[in-house]
Amino acid sequence: MMDWWFNGPLSPQGELTWGLPLGWIALALGIGFLILFLTSRRQGEGRLVELVCSALALSTVIWGIADPIWFEADGRTEPGRTVVLVDGSRSMGVEKERGTRALRVLQDIGGDRDVYTFGEGLKAGPPQDWTGSGTDIGEALDAVADRYLGQTLRSIVLITDGIDRGGLRANLAGENDTVVPALPGPLTVVQVGETISGIDNAVSDIQTGGFAFLRTPFPLTALVEGAPESELAVTLRREGRLVDTQRVTLDASGQGNVRFEVTPNAVGRFVWEISVPDAVDDAVPGNNSHAVVVRVVRDRTRVLQVCGSPSYDQKFLRLFLKDDPSVDLVSFFILRTHEDFASGWYPDELSLIAFPYERLFTEQLETFDVVIFQNFDFKPYFERDPNGLLRNMVSFVRSGGALVMIGGDRSFDLGEYAGTPIEGVLPVKLGVKGELANEKPFRPVLADGGNQHPVTRIAGTIEDSEAAWARLPNLDGMNRNRGLAEGAAALLTHPELTSEGEPMPVLAVREIGEGRTMALMSDASWRWSFSEAATGRGNQAYLRFWKGALRWLVADPDDRRVVVQPSAENVLLGQELRVTTTIRDAGFNPVEGVRYSGVVEAPDGSRTMVEGITDTSGIGVSLIQPTVQGAHRVRVTSDDQGAAETVFSVVTRDPELAEVSADGEFLARLAAAYGSRGAFRGPGESIDPLIDPTAVRVIDEQRSVSLASMPILALIFGLFGGFAWWTRRRHGGL
Amino acid sequence: MRPDNWTRRQILGAISAGLVLPSAALGFGADSRFHVAEIDLGRGSLHRPQAWKRMLHEIIQATSIEANPISVRVDPKDPALFEHPFAVLVGDDALPPLEDEAIHQLRRYLSYGGFLLIDDASGTGTGAFAKSARDLVRRVFPTRPLSPLPGDHALYRSFFLLDRPVGRTRGTGVIEGVQLGPTAPLMFCPCDLSGALDRGADGRNTIPLAGGESQRREAVKLSINLGLYALTSNYKHDIAHVVELMREGRIE
Repeated sequence: MMDWWFNGPLSPQGELTWGLPLGWIALALGIGFLILFLTSRRQGEGRLVELVCSALALSTVIWGIADPIWFEADGRTEPGRTVVLVDGSRSMGVEKERGTRALRVLQDIGGDRDVYTFGEGLKAGPPQDWTGSGTDIGEALDAVADRYLGQTLRSIVLITDGIDRGGLRANLAGENDTVVPALPGPLTVVQVGETISGIDNAVSDIQTGGFAFLRTPFPLTALVEGAPESELAVTLRREGRLVDTQRVTLDASGQGNVRFEVTPNAVGRFVWEISVPDAVDDAVPGNNSHAVVVRVVRDRTRVLQVCGSPSYDQKFLRLFLKDDPSVDLVSFFILRTHEDFASGWYPDELSLIAFPYERLFTEQLETFDVVIFQNFDFKPYFERDPNGLLRNMVSFVRSGGALVMIGGDRSFDLGEYAGTPIEGVLPVKLGVKGELANEKPFRPVLADGGNQHPVTRIAGTIEDSEAAWARLPNLDGMNRNRGLAEGAAALLTHPELTSEGEPMPVLAVREIGEGRTMALMSDASWRWSFSEAATGRGNQAYLRFWKGALRWLVADPDDRRVVVQPSAENVLLGQELRVTTTIRDAGFNPVEGVRYSGVVEAPDGSRTMVEGITDTSGIGVSLIQPTVQGAHRVRVTSDDQGAAETVFSVVTRDPELAEVSADGEFLARLAAAYGSRGAFRGPGESIDPLIDPTAVRVIDEQRSVSLASMPILALIFGLFGGFAWWTRRRHGGL
Repeated sequence: MRPDNWTRRQILGAISAGLVLPSAALGFGADSRFHVAEIDLGRGSLHRPQAWKRMLHEIIQATSIEANPISVRVDPKDPALFEHPFAVLVGDDALPPLEDEAIHQLRRYLSYGGFLLIDDASGTGTGAFAKSARDLVRRVFPTRPLSPLPGDHALYRSFFLLDRPVGRTRGTGVIEGVQLGPTAPLMFCPCDLSGALDRGADGRNTIPLAGGESQRREAVKLSINLGLYALTSNYKHDIAHVVELMREGRIE
């Protein structure tokens, strides 16, 4: 009954605490007694009794406000816990059986146990995947000792393959006695994974310069490993295609270096993979190849300028091309035709050489980025297999090359290109009937969209560009055409002439296959340079036009309308990578709000989705964290704008994967280090964990009793408050 | 395919095709074809249109160049100078000093792709004309003096392989030039090239040459080379040509 008055039993070992800060309690006391002082009677009988009773009643109120709590702590003992440590590192995932067996062991142990995963710190619970990057068994055991400090454990079970990256394995392998972590319970070490013996051929590392220049040899140097003093055939592949094979003799330590020198013939990012064959019983076939991505950039644009007749137009274009340090120019000008043979000059007086057309348009064609046919008629010179040579040009364009055809009396229909394979890639349709050229001077006008296209954007702003085109001098005439070919765009048109109801294209461009073509239907663009210079404005319009044209024509993969780029060609395992998607319109202006999606495909076939919406800069960024070594291919698609792809490689030799043979010897040594409190269980053995039956743990219990709501407080308040009120009334107080 | 190899059927086919084939243009606009502008400085400068027409006719006959055989006279201050990328200045006496405006325009003309041949009609390369021409060049390019072109200069192999310059005279035996980057847009010929080319209204040579017609033939070759060089600049120094000519033993 007494306990009820005090809200329950109160132990003398308890401790009184206050819910309200002491300062607030003092303030409440002060205010209370001030009120008491101000309201008490100054004279009359029973004044002292009334004052004491009122003070006691007031004290109960302040006691309640102060929120007193009676706090009692106590403990009880229970049997010790069983702790299971499971290795969650990547080496546990290389063989399916290894991870499966670890989970099965965990299941077999059963009962009430605390499970932790180690491999990248200690985490509660069983492993969700095998992605830990650093196995440190010593650290895991220390963490258990810390976590259960003051307790004894019934059993500690360690499930691992023993590929320890901390110092414990190395220390236990040494001559000196090694201090192992003090544990609060007996340790049972369970090995999962087999100890693999035999030779392991491997490509350990590849060194490159990180990037390479187009058509310039660069080295790839690989460190390979295998049986000491054996010979290995090392192969190099580019994008899966065999490039070269070299044989290397390994040294006494089983290592050797091999150097490949390759000459890239295309711009972009490419996967280079070096591999060695599997040895008989190769310990780890997965490390027999190593891929890196090398970005190939263009140091100079290689241009072939073929001109059928030297002219002012050819002169000014050559001056521009020769003066541009980013251009490697090869020119061939037809200085004499069959008609000139009768002019009476002896061949040995001349400095002319034969036009090597066969070599240029067969074996050497792929060495060029841009081919310019400037007023060039092929028929008199392509004596052997002219259609075959023109078809080579078409293949050249479709596979990424660029072709420019410039007008004149030997070009387009006047050069009899109608019906040839070349016509199929030109931006304009040939086969004009009647007058093939119009010789009336004219000033071309910008077509719709021409003011934004990089070829015709010859000033900083659209307005300045339009003004520049409007003031450029007239052209002397043009080759007529039958309008735009399919997929082509006109950038400049004739102010009066039409074809198929549309203004006749004077300058047109076309993307075809991987390449691009441009048709300039006049042979007087030189006037944009020279006549403009007469006004004192220099020749910037001409230079910007041709610079813009060359830049657009060679269109490197990173300069296309839809581009996807990794933040690095080669990344470390686990390193976060930014994949940037850039989307531009036909005028190369950024396009905002375009939804794109794509996939990152890892070498093991796993896929990671990327998607996003472009911002005001036409850019969308996705973050990915590759977990597999090797070449990854990224493909991004936008329904409206097109698609793009790129590659990157995860190149770090993952220490968790460099060695995958389970180390039973170390695990046995670890168990032995604990003497009778350690046991080793090899693969296939019964787990039967060591148990300490005396292990106990203390369970702390805490109890708190609120003294603010004790019923006895109401009783005290009622008694003393009532008596004070009664005394006051009896003696005449109000 | 040569006409003498044609069969009767092919010749008939070609004739019938010629009847229906559309007409072809010979270049677009006469102004875009290669031609000559004579710079007129009045006293001291000469006007020899027939010499340059002869040069242009020879170029048309010997080369693939589409030329317009005309010679126009241009004041160096006239912006129309920029309509004519190939200009000549011929004289036999001291030239009058040019105004700064003309000097600026000549500098701009040559810097942006024009070509100027100064021909000393005195044939000495050291007389009053040569002196005043050198003064003129010094004002146009104060930091780039005239200097002799080396024997392997592209001018001497732009079409014909030439050993030395020859005109009406042999002058100093060398052509001098002002080099701007890889090209020489201004050349000084001391050997009266236009004198060797000049003809009267009847088509006959105006001036007999000491070396006879073989000397005139060399002068014609030099004039063709000048035209080719003006259009192709250092094309004949491109590695493909040098290697091939060396392989054939035509240059060393």
